[in-house]
Amino acid sequence: MLVAAWRDLQWRRRRFLIAVSGTALVFAMTLVLAGLSNAFVVEVDRTLHVVHADRWVVASGATSPFNSSQVVPGAALGRVRKARGVVAADPFIALHNTIGVDDPTNVTTIGAVPGGVGSPTVTDGRAPRRDGEVAVSSRLDASIGDRVVIGGRRYTVVGIVPKSSLYGGTANVFLTLHAVQSSTFNGLDLATAIAVRGHAFRAPPGVTAVTNARARTDLLSALGAGRQTIDVVAVLLWIVAACIIGSIVYLSALERVRDFAVFKATGTSTPALMLGLAFQAVVISLLAALAGAVIATLMAPQFPIPAEIPPSAYVVLPIVAIVVGFLASLAGLRRAVTVSPALAFGGA
Amino acid sequence: MPALEISDLVVEYSSGDYTIRPIDGLSARVEPGELALILGPSGCGKTTLLSCLGGILTPTSGSIRFGEITVPGLEAAALTGYRRDTVGIIFQAFNLVPSLSAIENVEVPLRAAGRSRRTRRQRAHELLDLVGLGDRSHHRPGDLSGGQQQRVAIARALALDPPLILADEPTAHLDYLQVEDILRLLRELATADRVVVVSTHDQRMLPLADRVIEMVPQFGMGEGDPERVELAPGEILFEQGSWGELIYVVESGDLEVGRPRNDGSWETLASLGAGQYFGETGPLFRLPRSATVRARRAAVVTGYSVRDFRHRMGSQGIGAVLADAGDAPP
Repeated sequence: MLVAAWRDLQWRRRRFLIAVSGTALVFAMTLVLAGLSNAFVVEVDRTLHVVHADRWVVASGATSPFNSSQVVPGAALGRVRKARGVVAADPFIALHNTIGVDDPTNVTTIGAVPGGVGSPTVTDGRAPRRDGEVAVSSRLDASIGDRVVIGGRRYTVVGIVPKSSLYGGTANVFLTLHAVQSSTFNGLDLATAIAVRGHAFRAPPGVTAVTNARARTDLLSALGAGRQTIDVVAVLLWIVAACIIGSIVYLSALERVRDFAVFKATGTSTPALMLGLAFQAVVISLLAALAGAVIATLMAPQFPIPAEIPPSAYVVLPIVAIVVGFLASLAGLRRAVTVSPALAFGGA
Repeated sequence: MPALEISDLVVEYSSGDYTIRPIDGLSARVEPGELALILGPSGCGKTTLLSCLGGILTPTSGSIRFGEITVPGLEAAALTGYRRDTVGIIFQAFNLVPSLSAIENVEVPLRAAGRSRRTRRQRAHELLDLVGLGDRSHHRPGDLSGGQQQRVAIARALALDPPLILADEPTAHLDYLQVEDILRLLRELATADRVVVVSTHDQRMLPLADRVIEMVPQFGMGEGDPERVELAPGEILFEQGSWGELIYVVESGDLEVGRPRNDGSWETLASLGAGQYFGETGPLFRLPRSATVRARRAAVVTGYSVRDFRHRMGSQGIGAVLADAGDAPP
């Protein structure tokens, strides 16, 4: 009965095309949402990678080098550098700030010792070496050589760090440690963390060692509610997709009641009829998944927080689409099962 | 070669509070190579009988045997196999699948039987050539005339070369030019190894038939003297669902008209006294009695043939009877 189901898809192609279009948009939104949720994770990993520290030391009671308002005691740096397993250690500052004057934008200012641990890897240009220099995220509309105002001070852009952001798209800007200390701590030798390169070590008294994994978890927890909301909306969208496919397949089943009766009266088994209907639902789902993937790929970069659709989502989508299509066809299947072949008799 | 044998077939179903019995004790036998007509007016149970023969409806009681197969006793899977391999059905409304081409419609039973693509195509082409539609094999039903659609339906019914062909009012939707083709085809189908059963209310098909199964008893319209019947209290004159040719007039006593409900209780529809008539609907319209009549007290009634009743009522009177038929007792 697959041929009959396929011919019926062709026969009612306009209706099925509408269903595919609607479902494709829903699938695309689902993919984009998955991309947004993933973007929050990717940006954290990207930032941790770009500052390439193996471990961190923060003030006792603080949980992360990126969102702590506590400073590390100055004496701690020397003790950390002497600790067994530490190859190198440098002060590090991460603070919320703004860039621009007339239309200021929130950024995360990261200060590190030039060439030291926590200094950013820059793909275009170079990392800042002097206090008046800055490397900015490619998410900001700035080019090398531009003059930008950060926290009321002017800096020259000397490097671009690709797609660097935190907290759901807030761009990172990278300054020298001294520049940040000058602008924020009135020139005092303070830091919010110590970036460490080396193996596991025992943290000296008064400070706490934090792994990258812990720092990652801490950064992601700030967006936990948002990510959960996105996940709930994604589930709702799956349900919407199932409803669209289900209603179309059910309508098709209702209109084909006499066909089903004839098939049954001429010896076609009920499972074969069910297979045909399920086939229709799955074909619609897969076509919608294909179109949805294309739409999502085109849409993803256009969002304020560019969606990072994971490759696995493209693999999972058709699988989920098949499941959604099959579930959506259940109402139609039930209708097909209950059709009596006696309906084939009688007038038109 | 298998013969079709129907014995004491009863089909009944519930309609609201009542039980309807469209087929009541039907017996018939059709030999191989015969074309049998199931003849009767609309609503007399022809399609119900075809449904039973086709394994689509399970009768309440009785037996249908086709060769070694006892149809009502088949399990679900065997029934599907019976419908596919043993029976070919030609429907009144053609019932071709609109999204499939003519050849794909013919292939439907072949697909159900798991035939290979090559076998399906070859067989479908042969059958479309047989019914004169070889050049229309890729047309959809909507592009074919009624007669052509019915010929495709016949080709579909023959796809697996079934030994039993059932046709339900096959000419109902055709003009007289198309009817000729279809009748000729149906007649040719009844070969030595095949039984063809056609239901129709069209008496013009009678010359085609080797055998006729009358679904409605044949009554004379006016022979015989009036029949006087004396009824004891509680005695039943006739029952719902029975056939009769007499219209009764109450001479004396009281009678009641009613119907037995499914729960065994009795519903009285009307009471009759001297001078009132009843039982006209069945004989006038050739329908089964629609209610039961029994004597409440000792009663005497006289039964008249339709012709005598018309004579007794006069031309104006019979008009009033027809006008009141919906309200009057059966």
